[in-house]
Amino acid sequence: MNEDRRKVLDMLAAGKITAEEAERLLTALEKEPTATLAQESAPKPKAKYIRVTVDQADPDGKAPKKVNIRVPIQLLRSGVRLAGVIPVQARQHVEDAMRANGMAFDLSQIKPENLEEIVNELQDLSIDVVEEHSKVRIFAE
Amino acid sequence: MIPLGVTVRLRRTGRRGFAVWIPLFLLWLLLLPVALVLFPVVYLACLFVRVNAVQLYMTAWRILASLRHTLIEVEDAEHAVRIHIA
Repeated sequence: MNEDRRKVLDMLAAGKITAEEAERLLTALEKEPTATLAQESAPKPKAKYIRVTVDQADPDGKAPKKVNIRVPIQLLRSGVRLAGVIPVQARQHVEDAMRANGMAFDLSQIKPENLEEIVNELQDLSIDVVEEHSKVRIFAE
Repeated sequence: MIPLGVTVRLRRTGRRGFAVWIPLFLLWLLLLPVALVLFPVVYLACLFVRVNAVQLYMTAWRILASLRHTLIEVEDAEHAVRIHIA
């Protein structure tokens, strides 16, 4: 028996509330967890933007520098399709350049449905980088 | 839908700033006939590099359309710039 239910029954036993009032209170207590559960199980709205904020304090005491960029997530989806229109010769050059920089990537393997999974995972993206004079935040909203 | 305008706002410390609204829809109206006229040339070039011309146009359209609601703000002690694509 949880604490709230015990309090209601104690008040009833002490005659502080009537049986009807106790019943209403107990019903309300029973509904409360259901309401919370319904809120938790309701689907979260999908994030539409990726936001990047940079705050850099000025060591000389001047006003801080701020950067705020908001990019629609739809741009990522559209950008992936760009890989499909890169000419084959150019694609090879791009892949060679990426490999030289430590990124072994096959652009022909990028498909929109693969990216959809990644974009869905971006919904919970939140990256915070904090340094002595600057703070960078990247998150989906 | 492709963006119809860009708002650029500039501000300097101690001075009155200004905002400019650039009607992109006029730019698209100007570029549309150019894109149509150039389509045969683009089509031939795409054939040469083995790229689907229609897919290229559609991808460019999608990228433009997804630029809507992009916002860029940069601010320091003396200047502030705000670019909003609507």
